[in-house]
This record gives sequence, C-alpha cells and structure tokens, in this order.
Amino acid sequence: MKLISTFFILSALLLISAQTFAVSSSPDQETLSVQKQHEDAPLPEQTSKEMKETEQKNSDVEEDVTEEGEEETVKIADPIYPWNKAMYHFNDKFYFWLLKPVSKGYSSVVPEDIRLAVSNFFSNLTTPIRFVSNLLQLKMKNAGNELIRFAYNSTAGVGGLADVAKKDLDIKRHDEDLGQTLGSYGIGHGFYIVWPLLGPSSVRDTAGKIGDILLDPVSYVNPTETAVGIAAYDRVNETSFHIGDYEDWKKSVVNPYVSMRNAYIQHRKKKVEE
Amino acid sequence: MKRQLSVLSVIAVLLFPLYAYAGAPLNAVEVHVNKVLDVLRDPALKGESGKKAKKEKIRSISEKMFDYTELSRRTLGQDWKKLNPSQQKEFTELYRTLLEDAYADKIVNYKDEKVIFGKENPLTEKTMEVQTTIVTKKADIPINYRVILKEGAWRVYDVVIEGVSLINNYRSQFREILANKSPEVLLDTLRKKVGKA
Repeated sequence: MKLISTFFILSALLLISAQTFAVSSSPDQETLSVQKQHEDAPLPEQTSKEMKETEQKNSDVEEDVTEEGEEETVKIADPIYPWNKAMYHFNDKFYFWLLKPVSKGYSSVVPEDIRLAVSNFFSNLTTPIRFVSNLLQLKMKNAGNELIRFAYNSTAGVGGLADVAKKDLDIKRHDEDLGQTLGSYGIGHGFYIVWPLLGPSSVRDTAGKIGDILLDPVSYVNPTETAVGIAAYDRVNETSFHIGDYEDWKKSVVNPYVSMRNAYIQHRKKKVEE
Repeated sequence: MKRQLSVLSVIAVLLFPLYAYAGAPLNAVEVHVNKVLDVLRDPALKGESGKKAKKEKIRSISEKMFDYTELSRRTLGQDWKKLNPSQQKEFTELYRTLLEDAYADKIVNYKDEKVIFGKENPLTEKTMEVQTTIVTKKADIPINYRVILKEGAWRVYDVVIEGVSLINNYRSQFREILANKSPEVLLDTLRKKVGKA
C-alpha cells in the first residue's frame, strides 16, 4: 500500500515538473532562433554545435500537408537534448557490444520454439499491468479478456508457456500500460527522455513505467539481483527475435536520433488512440 | 412485389460501380504484395546468391507499386518549394533508392510469414488506407498502405508500420537538415548515404 501511494505521489510530482519544464523550455527555443537570424549566412559545413541547436529546436515540429490536411502533427519537446543524445549513443553501443552478441549466442543455442515459450511465459506474468491499465481506461471487455487469457494460458497453456487463448479462444493480448493510461486521460508526454538501457521514453511514460514495474511480479523477487537477472534474461530473449531489425533501420535513416524520437511518439500516439 | 424487385435491382445496379470502386485500392496493393511474395518464395532464388536477384525483382515491382513523386512531395511538405525542379528530381531519385534499398534489405529475410489483407479506409477523396497484417510466430504486425488515385491507378504514397508513418518519420529527419542548411546539403547527405548503402 505504501508503495502504491509513493508511486502516485512520485508520478504526480514528475508530471507537474515536466509540464512546467516543457512550458519554460519554449522561450529558450525562441531565443535560439532570434540569435540565428543575426548570424552570418549559414556555413556550408555545420559545426556540431549548430547541428545540436537545430536538432533541439526542430524537435519534430511537423506541419500539415496542407493540400489534404490529412497529415497529423506529432511533436515533443526535447530540452535535455545533450543527455538524450548521449544516452542514445550509449544504448547504441550497448546493443552492438553486449546485447546483440549475447542474444545471438543465446538464440543459436536455444531453438525458436523454446524462446517463444519463454516469451509467452513472461508475457503471461505481466497480465496485471495490462489488466489494471485496461481497467483504468474503462476498457472493461479487454480487461476481462486479460483475465480469461491469464486463467486459460496458465492452465491449458501450462504455466503460460503457450498462448492457447489466442489459438483456441481467439482472444488476443491487448497491450496496454500505465503510460498509455495516462495518455488516455489527456496527459501529454512532458518531454522526451532517453534512458540508458531502457531506451526512448518521456516524462509521462517514465511515470507509467514505474507503475508498470510495481505491477510486475518479477520485481518482487528477492534478492534484487535475481529480479534484475530475470529481467535481463527476458530482454535477451525478446531481442533474439529482432536481431537485424535495429541494423536495418539504421541503414535506412539519415538521422537516427531524430528518426527514433519521431518513431517513438508516433507509435505511442497510436497506442494511446487504439 | 414486382415493383419492389425492380426498385431493388435499380439500386443494385447503381451501387455496383461503388462496390467495384471500393475494391480497387485493396486489389492494387494485394497484386503488388503478392508479386513480391512470389519472388520471395521462389525456390529458384534461394540462398545468398539468390538474394541479389530477389532484390532486383523487388525493386522493379516497387517502382510500379509506389508513387515516388507523391511520396517525395509529401515527405518534404512545405520544404518541397525550397528545392528547384532539378533538385526535386534528384531528391526523388535519391529518396527512392534509399527506400528501395531499405525495403528490399528488410523483406529479403522473409521466412513464410503470412500476409492478411484487411479493410480499406477512405482518407480523402483521392486517398485510402489499405490495412494489412503480417502474421509472424512472434506477433501480428499491422502494416497499412496509404494509396492515392492518379491517372486511373492506385499507388502507394505512405507506409504506416505499427502506427509509424514512413513519410512523417523521414520528414522529421529532412526538416532538421533543411531548417538551417541549403537543399544542396540535403542532397549531398542523401548522395553519401545511398552511395554507402
């Protein structure tokens, strides 16, 4: 009970500070653009400092394609850009130097069917996150479905190893988390944050993630090192299905940092809306 | 009774063109996607040596499937006007090569996943969204193709994967460059990128 109330207070504080931070950061962005007008004609080669400023200034300020007006605006403030960029690079190295080799080795030893069973197992365990999130969004049918899935997969699916609810009952997982729940209440992202190891997020989604962790049974395994170890294993297992995706994406983009930020908020927007 | 039947048949006849119209975008996408799938499943093109041939064939299919001019224009949006016609032409070419390489690289690793064609959603008068799902062992991935009707054919101008619009994503990247740099810098960035890839 204490944990839950701590979570609520913490996230409320985070969100309030995020909103003020996001608002106060806009004047900074305006001053930057005024300064730029006084500069000489832009140099053909942009210095890295200038590039950082433009990346920060143009944090995905999208405009409608005016002919048809069907394009939507997605934007997020990026006031802690230097930190985020550094974390992006850290995560990039982490993937290539640690996560990918471990995951590749793991997947060469463990057959895909077993890895899928493991994935199902962990997914089954995180039912509370989906159940509570669906409930808080008043998606009653989905919440009920999550319970049915848990019951059926845990029994007929042998401890959640097989997703028989999808196969036999045609009831699919409804991916919801607390970050999406907050979004459905109209709470904005605040600003963009890239966490080491965890990847792109925002103030709102971080608050949600903290709540998700509190609802995840794995978090309560003692000692903490074991809990972290289990989470790491889950991560390695999940990555084993996606080796090559990150590399392909990097090859296809011109600015990976901006692309990732943009993809993150587009994706989250869609998740909130569905 | 007879009169009701004739009224119904008149209505049916009037509605028929609408029905045929509604099927056309999905048909267009389905035809091209199936062609790509045929190439991917071709037993004669197996293995590493077959990959190159597969990529070539996929490139020629995507040329008919995508409207690259529309794609380029919509990606740059307001910034399209910053480019002069010859720059616009080069941009379209470079962007197209970038996308084709990315698409071909990704899809050539296909391994018997199923593609399910779903609904068509009208977006505007000339555009529609065709929903498809790729069923992998791990998950169902929603991929939506946005198509536009030009000169009697429906062609793709945007691909939305798990809610992420391709042209929206590239727009954010190109805008970051064009905000303070000339179109020539953008073109040069693309030239280097495509030359390397």
